[in-house]
Amino acid sequence: MTGFVVRRIGQMALALLGVSVIVFALIHFVPGDPVRTALGTRFDQEIYDALVRRHGLDQPLAIQYFSWLGSAARGDLGVSFRSGQPVTGLVLERLPATMTLAGAALAVALVVGVPLGVVSAIRSGSKLDYAATAISQVGVSVPDFWAGIMYILLFSLTLGWLPPSGYVSPFTDFVGWLKHLILPALAVGLVSASIIFRFVRSAVLEALNQDYVRMARAKGLSRRAVLFDHVLPNAWIPIVTVVGLQLGFLLGGVVVVEIIFAWPGIGRLAYLAVGDRDFTVLQGAVLYIAFMFLVINLVVDVLYAWLDPRVRYD
Amino acid sequence: MKPRESLRALAVMVIVAMVLVACQQGESVDVGDAGTTTAPADEGTTETTPTDTEDDDGEEATADGGTLIAAQGAEPDRLDPHLTSAYASFQILENVYDTLVQPGDDLSMEPALAESWDISDDQLTWTFHLREGVTFHNGRELVADDVVYSYERIMDPETGAANAFRFESIESVTAVDENTVEIELTRPTPNLLVNLGGFKGMAIVPQEIVEDGSIDTHPVGTGPFRFVSSSPDEGILLERNPDYWQEGLPRLDQIRFVQIPDPTVKLTNLRTGEVHWVDSVPPQELESLEADDSIVLERVPGGDYHYFAFNHAREPFDNPDVRRAIAMAIDREVIAEAAQFGAATPNQTAIPEGNFWYHEYAPFTPGDVEGAQALLEEAGVTDLSFAFMVSSEFPETVTQAQVIASQLEPLGITVEIDDVDFSTWLDRQGQGDFDAFMLSWIGNIDPDDFYYAQHHSEGGFNFQGYSNPDMDALLDEARVETDQDARKALYDQAAEMIVDDASYIYLYNPENIGAWTPALEGYSVRGDNAVRFVEASLNP
Amino acid sequence: MTDLVQESEPIAPVAHRSRFRTTAETVLRNRLAVAGLAILALLVVVALAAPAIAPYTINEVDVANRLQGPSAQHWFGTDELGRDVFSRVIIASRVSLQVGFISVGIALGVGVPIGLFAGYYGGRIDSVLMRLMDILFSIPAIVLAIAILAALGPDIVNAMIAIGVVYTPIFARITRGSVLTLRDAVFVRAARSIGASDGRIIGNHILPNVIAPIIVQTSLSLAFAILAEAALSFLGLGVQPPNPAWGRMLSEGRGFFQQAPWMAIFPGLAIFVTVFAFNAFGDGLRDALDPQQRSVIESRGKA
Repeated sequence: MTGFVVRRIGQMALALLGVSVIVFALIHFVPGDPVRTALGTRFDQEIYDALVRRHGLDQPLAIQYFSWLGSAARGDLGVSFRSGQPVTGLVLERLPATMTLAGAALAVALVVGVPLGVVSAIRSGSKLDYAATAISQVGVSVPDFWAGIMYILLFSLTLGWLPPSGYVSPFTDFVGWLKHLILPALAVGLVSASIIFRFVRSAVLEALNQDYVRMARAKGLSRRAVLFDHVLPNAWIPIVTVVGLQLGFLLGGVVVVEIIFAWPGIGRLAYLAVGDRDFTVLQGAVLYIAFMFLVINLVVDVLYAWLDPRVRYD
Repeated sequence: MKPRESLRALAVMVIVAMVLVACQQGESVDVGDAGTTTAPADEGTTETTPTDTEDDDGEEATADGGTLIAAQGAEPDRLDPHLTSAYASFQILENVYDTLVQPGDDLSMEPALAESWDISDDQLTWTFHLREGVTFHNGRELVADDVVYSYERIMDPETGAANAFRFESIESVTAVDENTVEIELTRPTPNLLVNLGGFKGMAIVPQEIVEDGSIDTHPVGTGPFRFVSSSPDEGILLERNPDYWQEGLPRLDQIRFVQIPDPTVKLTNLRTGEVHWVDSVPPQELESLEADDSIVLERVPGGDYHYFAFNHAREPFDNPDVRRAIAMAIDREVIAEAAQFGAATPNQTAIPEGNFWYHEYAPFTPGDVEGAQALLEEAGVTDLSFAFMVSSEFPETVTQAQVIASQLEPLGITVEIDDVDFSTWLDRQGQGDFDAFMLSWIGNIDPDDFYYAQHHSEGGFNFQGYSNPDMDALLDEARVETDQDARKALYDQAAEMIVDDASYIYLYNPENIGAWTPALEGYSVRGDNAVRFVEASLNP
Repeated sequence: MTDLVQESEPIAPVAHRSRFRTTAETVLRNRLAVAGLAILALLVVVALAAPAIAPYTINEVDVANRLQGPSAQHWFGTDELGRDVFSRVIIASRVSLQVGFISVGIALGVGVPIGLFAGYYGGRIDSVLMRLMDILFSIPAIVLAIAILAALGPDIVNAMIAIGVVYTPIFARITRGSVLTLRDAVFVRAARSIGASDGRIIGNHILPNVIAPIIVQTSLSLAFAILAEAALSFLGLGVQPPNPAWGRMLSEGRGFFQQAPWMAIFPGLAIFVTVFAFNAFGDGLRDALDPQQRSVIESRGKA
């Protein structure tokens, strides 16, 4: 097990290295560069050249990459071209917002998805099951950004219940923080809820059909006892997997929802960085997201093994 | 936002006669230390209430002027005034920094950090006398060396200041004594004041924040508000500078700039009272806002202009007749209506009516398809098609391109719209890799800003590649002509030539629009779009 | 995750014809799947016939008639340039379906061979290929697609490529996972022992037995590819104006929430209905072909 984890951490480091190479290569294929973008329409060749030299952008790409890599290895992700601020700071500043949104969305997803999935599976074939399944089918099909827009249209612009966008820190204004959080968390969370619902439902269904469950029922154990002692413990495994994957996705991937709700998160940071060709920031943001994603995968795998002794490592 | 009790009455609005300094020769201007604040021009708010004339020595910062929450549509990039080119940054820096001189409400240049100046008879030496007792937000007194340092920093190509070109005619900047700065010029520069103080890109900064590297993140100026903090969730916070050199100002305790990219959402925040002020209004909302008593809407004719240009290096757009045919065929009225919902004045030239430099010249009948057809036939051009480079970062350019495409269709011209991100846009513009592009110019004051860099064959922004020796001669002559009327006559000729040769195809001048809560007083939309909260106050 | 192999019984080769029949029967018993299939059929017909059905020319600007609400003349109202939203929505269905099919085709064409080789040969080839896929997979999909599009320039073909690249790792993983369970199956060993070439074994013995999860994934990926295309064109990448795309119409409609909510509602509904149809059908297929239900998480996790 330890060997497995160590090996996986090694592979993670390699994967992160690969991510950084791809991001670096991609952003340099893109027309436009951070200096020209920063200068805007007021362009002057001499000034441009000076800035390019100052940022070391006149160096060959390989040298630029390795000098970035060298400082990155020491924990210094460089400085934003756009704002002149250290990238680590920019990413860390946005970490709470992203984590809040991911956490809230996941909470929505779990609160809605898990109980509904369990009930649907137990009453498989009932009207409730049919309705829940159909609704979840709708849930996974709604584009989250469209849902976000519709929520803003309905709950903010028409009803005026909730603020349409933005973020406030919970430490300065807790109620305000909560209000700002609800709509984006719902926009993202309900999609996740639909996915989690489907997995929980099928995992529980599968567990219900196992021989030992039938046996337990045959032995006269109460439905409740069977459910909690035999069914759910075995259904955990796929549920942990899907929840882990969803969390990984939420932590990095809700770019468009962050844009719509002006949510100051990492996804939006990465999106803006592409527009500004601010590749140190893009690198920092993407590496962070990739790192979270890989860590969560690792944790999921370890949990998986711990929950299910049939899994072996090779 | 809960309304706060205002302990202070409105300060006296000292209305000093406008000092038209820009073009008077060899004359010393001294307006004393009364400053030059003029009453805001908006509807009837020019009441002058007596003020408590206490001395601003810092301690009375408790006077409750309230915290203004101002919503901007874009995020500032960096806060170094010499290096940023983002309007969002200047919305903040306008209130933090000062320049030697600054545009007044009518956009003529007024004293700011310089109280007065003398111009030598040969027009080549300008001597600026600094206001005394001005301190930076870090407490250090402003001296002539700071001006010299700031200007040299801008002029040094190694700095990478995009505004270096404004100092092109400056030979040297020297500190004669603590409060006197002398600027030597290589040629007469009638628009020197605009070049030095047209906007905060030429701000006077203290050397120490450049050296310790904090200028990007923690600006320190001499302006009415000092920078407190910046974070992605709290926005940018400024607080009142108690030692500001204009007595009794500023009135607000704090300004919090928040960033709300979506214009509709931004406006909703104003309607629900989450913010007090928004930097722009989607034009389609104007109608409903005009009818809304709970929001103050101000529309001011601005000096900005929208235009498009062809690549003169590509056939058939090397032929002025072809470019002119397109300028004839479009209908500016419809374009302005579609993109700005009437909040714009169609214009075949750049400078708007009402501006001193305006020249009435409108040779084209709107939507003259037949005339255009004839010109194209004469030029032997058929089956014309071109790619139109626009950017969603400026959504009106995408809208306008679609309208223009539809207007050119009857001519058999195919327009392919190329909506690229702005970095790509800039890159391709710089490389000359385009058939046609569309954008707008904002914040121009002097006609030299409108024409020289854009239409002189050596001009830094002449990406369309317009080259006409007559134009070069006109622009070179006009920029050193110190007689205002003679100068205008030259620029009038230039304006006509640009239209006739369709170097740029001008579309319209948009209105500058602002909206805020009625509780905000002492603020008005400016012709140059500068966001100045120095005289603003929030009523309970 | 890629290192985890569940010990499952290698499946024996199947007789394809009977399997097709049972699959079709299972799918047709699923009401949601049938609904999905019906909507899909309708969508394809509409998309093919769109130029004939559309009541108005889609790009003609008519400023005088802008922002009109839904009416008998304009079923879905008009947009900010006076164009008919209904005509634009149905013409845009062509774009969405085209991008969906072609980008998934790219992901399929690249991902499946990678998965086959990695799974079959194992060892170093497997490690290298799958690490590469992991790297692609760990970059947020939209950011990766945006960067690819910025590099290639925004247009419809590049959008297809970008989405195709983003979805390639999923196909590679699913294929590899299935191949791993077969690599040492009795019938594969048997084929090897009689001297069949690797190509032959992969083509004749392995591929037919891993095709089920791939088919399921294809159907579900179509849904996600259409979502991804909508998200990209929402951000201004993808199809260029004035030509309509649902995502772009949606983002243009955002500015007109108050004046013309129909500008955002109808294109959004169109995206939803299309995605729903692919999902419902894909789920029906999956119930019939791949009851382990592994595919959705992997794909929506990247949506």
